[in-house]
Amino acid sequence: MARAPSLTQSMSGVHTWVGLLLGWALFAIFLTGTLAVFDKEIDWWMAPELTNQDQGPVVAANVAQRWLQANHPTSSSWTIALPTERSPRLAVSVDGQRRGENTPLDAESGEPLAVRDTLGGAFFFHFHYTLHLPRLLGVWVVGFAAMAMLVALVSGIIIHKKIFKDFFTFRPAKGQRSWLDGHNASAVLLLPFHLMITYTGLAIFCVLYMPAAVDALYGGDRQALFREADPAAAAQTGRGFGRDAPKSQAPAAPLLALGQFVEQGEAYYGRGMVAAVSVSDPGQADARVTVRPVLGNRIELTKGQGLTYDGVSGALLHEPAPARASLLTQRVLAGLHFAQFGGYPMRWLYFLCGLVSCAMIGSGLVLYAVKKRKQARDDRFLAVVERLNVSVIAGLAVACLALLWSNRLLPAALEARASAELAAFFGVWLATLLHAMWRPPFHAWREQLLVAAVLALALPLLDFLSADTTDRVRLSIDSAAAMMGLVFGWTAWKVPALSAKGRSEPLLRVRPAGAAQ
Amino acid sequence: MNPAASFTLCVVLAYAGMLGLCLGMDRHWKQLATGRLPAYAQRLCRPIGVLSLGLAGWAAGLVWPVGMAIVAWFGSISLAGFVLLMLMPYAPRLALWLPVASGMLLAVAASL
Repeated sequence: MARAPSLTQSMSGVHTWVGLLLGWALFAIFLTGTLAVFDKEIDWWMAPELTNQDQGPVVAANVAQRWLQANHPTSSSWTIALPTERSPRLAVSVDGQRRGENTPLDAESGEPLAVRDTLGGAFFFHFHYTLHLPRLLGVWVVGFAAMAMLVALVSGIIIHKKIFKDFFTFRPAKGQRSWLDGHNASAVLLLPFHLMITYTGLAIFCVLYMPAAVDALYGGDRQALFREADPAAAAQTGRGFGRDAPKSQAPAAPLLALGQFVEQGEAYYGRGMVAAVSVSDPGQADARVTVRPVLGNRIELTKGQGLTYDGVSGALLHEPAPARASLLTQRVLAGLHFAQFGGYPMRWLYFLCGLVSCAMIGSGLVLYAVKKRKQARDDRFLAVVERLNVSVIAGLAVACLALLWSNRLLPAALEARASAELAAFFGVWLATLLHAMWRPPFHAWREQLLVAAVLALALPLLDFLSADTTDRVRLSIDSAAAMMGLVFGWTAWKVPALSAKGRSEPLLRVRPAGAAQ
Repeated sequence: MNPAASFTLCVVLAYAGMLGLCLGMDRHWKQLATGRLPAYAQRLCRPIGVLSLGLAGWAAGLVWPVGMAIVAWFGSISLAGFVLLMLMPYAPRLALWLPVASGMLLAVAASL
């Protein structure tokens, strides 16, 4: 008679299987999410035609206004994306064009710039929450993975026998023991981050994942919920910025200089906190100017907000009202996840915490393989797990680096260039899978990590050779890549020791803990 | 103090705090401390660590408003703990002297 398993045993089973089966997706989600912390900076790196001219958003707004006045005087709306600390790009679009159809301008001369067509850092951001699946399906798959992450975190806490005793315990070069130590310690030390980032990630799409309340109260009309939650914002976006917005019949009247609205916006939101200016009905008496902040002047995610002015008299017509408690809660949770607040120090904290999360998930995946291998079972499932581990962990790193390399190696004027970059990313990722199927696991690990190390260490070289100028953001990305390259190289060098099959003599000896005494 | 110095101070205090908690445990005391230190020094480690973690929160408050400071405080403590975890087996001396050295550097930088 089989006895019912204890709580710890059943939780251990849940942790193993949920962690393993969703772990691959979770690793990809966490790695791309970590890179997406610096999405704008990666955008900048991937558009070497852009140079930092540091002449501020006020002047840039006036430069853009002159160009729009000369080239699109009769448009129903203008939108100007202003250069910020994180992006030197000044870009304009007219008549409610979508993002990506905009025209980048030289912030000094005001002439259109030829900037290469590239996926940019936005690719990592979109991949992070859709896995490049069709949007709705992707959001559901990622939501399912995030639920699994929460399950794995909670079950992991339950099955961890000595959370406080082993708080700082890491004993390297001891095979399975080391992997378990590393997995446990990276999970426990960063538990607040793991829980926060997973929970807030789910909270972003809460209305989608848990629609019952909206269905019951609003008959499933999600827009009705948002209109009631924030009536002022709804009234504001409802007007003038649609693709087919009818041209107003108001008489002609000169538009004030846009730079002065940006100045007022900076006075309201803080210096460097204005991201965009949009104008409806420019050149007419009912022109409205909306100044939009960057997302990060507070924790609350203030997407779509702005200050609205009369474009002819300059009077302030509308300022954002504080959100009510329910909406504020959701926005603060989303803001905690988006990590747009607190400037660069905060961004680095999120980035490094994200890397440790990746290490935690990766070490869990490897731990499963190490454990099963020790039981010396020659099963085919283990072979599949080992191959997927290599191509998801090392292979994805190679693919991300290949995306950056393709950005510089493909000719700048290539047709459908962004799709070619996409093909490079997925092509290389597929190649790492084939390579992992062909080579024995230890060799596959070592070779792919070495490729990642070389690609990352040589990235600064590629940058210097393929871009005319350099600046602080590109230098930071280059040096961060080089640091990652060192980590990959170090890991590749340690693979023989890491993979020791519980042998008493590891191939490479790491100084055991406490050897200094 | 400028924000960069305050942020560095926050990270250094967070590391010192985690080191204090760590040395308060017998296992890690044996691993890190030299035999010359008296036993009562170990008993002091935990309270000093807790104090230092609290001060890290205060330092974060110099850089950010309260809400953001709490986020940064948690993040700094976690990351400092992870750095300590990685340093201990590979570079135990450095793990011990890092807060002292960076504290002195910070003092020099602040007095300039």
